[in-house]
Amino acid sequence: MRELLSVLVTLFIFPGVAFLVACALLFEWIDRRTIARLQARVGPPWFQPLADLVKLLSKESILPRQADRPICTALPVVSLAAVLTAALYIPVGGRVVYGFEGDLIVVLFLLSLPALFYFLAGWVSVGIYSIIGGSRSVLQYFSYEVPFLMALSAPAILTGSWSISDIITQQAESAWIVLAQPVGFLLAIVGLIGKLKRVPFDIPKAKSEVVGGPLTEFSGRKLALWRLVVDIQTVAGIFLLVNMFLGGGDLTLLQGSAPLGLARAVTFSIKALGMLLTLSVTSVLYARLRIDQLANLGWRILAPLGLLQLAATILMGIG
Amino acid sequence: MSQIKSLLYLLPELFETLFEKVITVAYPFAPLELPANYTGRVRIEADLCRGCGACVRDCPAFGLELEKKGRDEFRLLHYPDRCISCGQCEESCRFKAIRLTNEFVEPSHGQRPSREVLVDHLPDEETDREANEDTPCAA
Amino acid sequence: MTRVTIPVGPQHPLLKEPLSLRLIAEGERVVEATMRLGYVHRGIERLAEERSYVQNLHLLERVCGICSHVHTTTYCQGVEALLDLEVPPRGLMLRTLLCELERIHSHLLWLGVLAENIGFSTVFMYAWRDREIVLDIMENLSGGRIAHAVNVIGGVRIDLDSDQIDAIRRSLDELHGQVDDLVNVVEHEQTLKARTQGVGGASLEQIRRHCAVGPVARAAGLDRDLRRDAPYAAYDRLSFEVVTESGGDVWSATRVRVRETVESLSLCQQILDDLPPGEVAVRASRRVPEGQVVARAEAPRGEVIYYIRSDGSDSPARIKIRTPTLPALSMVRERLRDINIADVPAVISGIDLCVACADR
Repeated sequence: MRELLSVLVTLFIFPGVAFLVACALLFEWIDRRTIARLQARVGPPWFQPLADLVKLLSKESILPRQADRPICTALPVVSLAAVLTAALYIPVGGRVVYGFEGDLIVVLFLLSLPALFYFLAGWVSVGIYSIIGGSRSVLQYFSYEVPFLMALSAPAILTGSWSISDIITQQAESAWIVLAQPVGFLLAIVGLIGKLKRVPFDIPKAKSEVVGGPLTEFSGRKLALWRLVVDIQTVAGIFLLVNMFLGGGDLTLLQGSAPLGLARAVTFSIKALGMLLTLSVTSVLYARLRIDQLANLGWRILAPLGLLQLAATILMGIG
Repeated sequence: MSQIKSLLYLLPELFETLFEKVITVAYPFAPLELPANYTGRVRIEADLCRGCGACVRDCPAFGLELEKKGRDEFRLLHYPDRCISCGQCEESCRFKAIRLTNEFVEPSHGQRPSREVLVDHLPDEETDREANEDTPCAA
Repeated sequence: MTRVTIPVGPQHPLLKEPLSLRLIAEGERVVEATMRLGYVHRGIERLAEERSYVQNLHLLERVCGICSHVHTTTYCQGVEALLDLEVPPRGLMLRTLLCELERIHSHLLWLGVLAENIGFSTVFMYAWRDREIVLDIMENLSGGRIAHAVNVIGGVRIDLDSDQIDAIRRSLDELHGQVDDLVNVVEHEQTLKARTQGVGGASLEQIRRHCAVGPVARAAGLDRDLRRDAPYAAYDRLSFEVVTESGGDVWSATRVRVRETVESLSLCQQILDDLPPGEVAVRASRRVPEGQVVARAEAPRGEVIYYIRSDGSDSPARIKIRTPTLPALSMVRERLRDINIADVPAVISGIDLCVACADR
């Protein structure tokens, strides 16, 4: 009985659904506020993301007559399930809910599912803007996903383990992987920006070109869930990068140490906030790219860099 | 180096902006400061008005009306909802009676009467129109 | 490949004013474009025939929001020519000052709109933050931020004392620093260049064929600016450079406009340094003698032409307005042929639409 209660608390409260949703809303607020301050504006108050979510949840959901209603209702729910499940396997401040050898691959797979569902959402909610946004999102997916996967496989090859907790432990013993693989770190950040569809890669939902992209026809509860998917994907992506490259809850740069749980949580939060600020600043620095420019960037610069990183890692491992 | 600099071109300006004041004005939670010649509400110095009707003739929004029954018996009406605060009445008045002040005119929707009597030199009698009836547009 | 029709319809996040475009696209390439105008048509030319010349001052100011002062300037020039009036030099200089301030305002607004439409919301916020400085100057001058109502037939209705001139000078100095930063961003920022360079190019021959005017034409190499070629108001007393580029694409148009903003700032400083004393207006009679006149001025978007015919009464018989956005819109169909969908916002913003002007 106690075990069941503990499992339920872990799944739904901490570090489960409630914690992730609270983190997602907090991160969205920090992101919007930082962007606003960098642009000489005030920015929303702390409860704005929660208010947006509650407002959307209470609105009517209207779809075009030709859109496939059951699929449109199921898609955001399934996407949310995918990102929540992925987040469960990512250690938070040293604690992980379920970890096993190979959970990195499961996490990467689950985190790439929402892109597919995003495209399907555009395809199925028949509307010219949705379809164009959907086809753009697929093109974009191929441009960023390959470098992202290569960048995230490099630490696993370096440490010789495909379990995220193991990678963290090995970083605690030796050094943060970002020092050994700075190129991989940059590729991972660029890939994360593409995955989260932030500027300069917000091409599928470019307001001035395709109005709303694949989610144009969604409204009400479905749209609320989609927005939550994006926010939780942000949280999951940031946590993953912090664990893989910045050592998770580890405190010192070079030497290993095992600080207390609270210290670990604090350092993890600081690193995660640092990543979030990096994401916010990069979304203010640039204009939106064109899809062919992104494809150029992805295949001519990012993918070769990723290959180089992998090759270097493998050679270092052999030698 | 210059490639990297041009890739992060806006970064210095972004950090400068972080430490400057925001440009958002906190209206309506902060008082509104208007310059002295802001085009606001129409006011009249009733003693100076002679009922010549120049302002009525020149108002581009047909916002003024004169009911004249004799040389010194007239009533000047103003329709605030039509006023565009252009200041032409002030320009046209030879006697400097009507003028544009810098009082801010709050937007309203049916909350203030649509007709305002500026000068009343008619003996006590009802005017031809109800208080809230709008004149037909002259065009 | 199948062709789809993308509506950049009357309601679209890209457009500030209603305009109906139908883009026929194959994949990501736009093949054809059709356009409909008229959503903001208010019948101003017809309304003007039923109002007196004095009332028309305020009616014609509202043809366009951003180039309001230039419309009344042109109108007043025409009526003053019919009345054979000469505006005193101080009045002319003040009119010109406000024309140039309006040009700065229009170009800053446009830069923000272009940046927002290509996804660069930071430059949008910065350009509109700097626009607030100009709006405050204009509000202190005339009492209104956008609708100034400064012109009267025969001159202007405002005057400046030395305190106001000093305050305006200080604001202009502050604005100069900000505009220089924006010029640098346009010249050097990589992503802005990537989205606008080589996009929507128009050759000089196309410009001539469609009679395009303004920064759009100057960006393709047409060296024509009414302030230099047919000086009106106080421009014959002032010195400035006409900015031209040769690319014809959106990036060239952007460079032309930000450099024109710098030139306008210098013109404003010249006016403030050189303001002659005297009256600001002469009295004008209400009845205008019979005749017809064509008046022209250089609005922020190009040459605006007024044809006024009077029949001796106090109301014009006919006013015909040719605004600079009309030829630019007639060129839009050609510019939108065979480009990416992602380039459509850049092209449409690059011609600096003012649909209210075009529809009147």
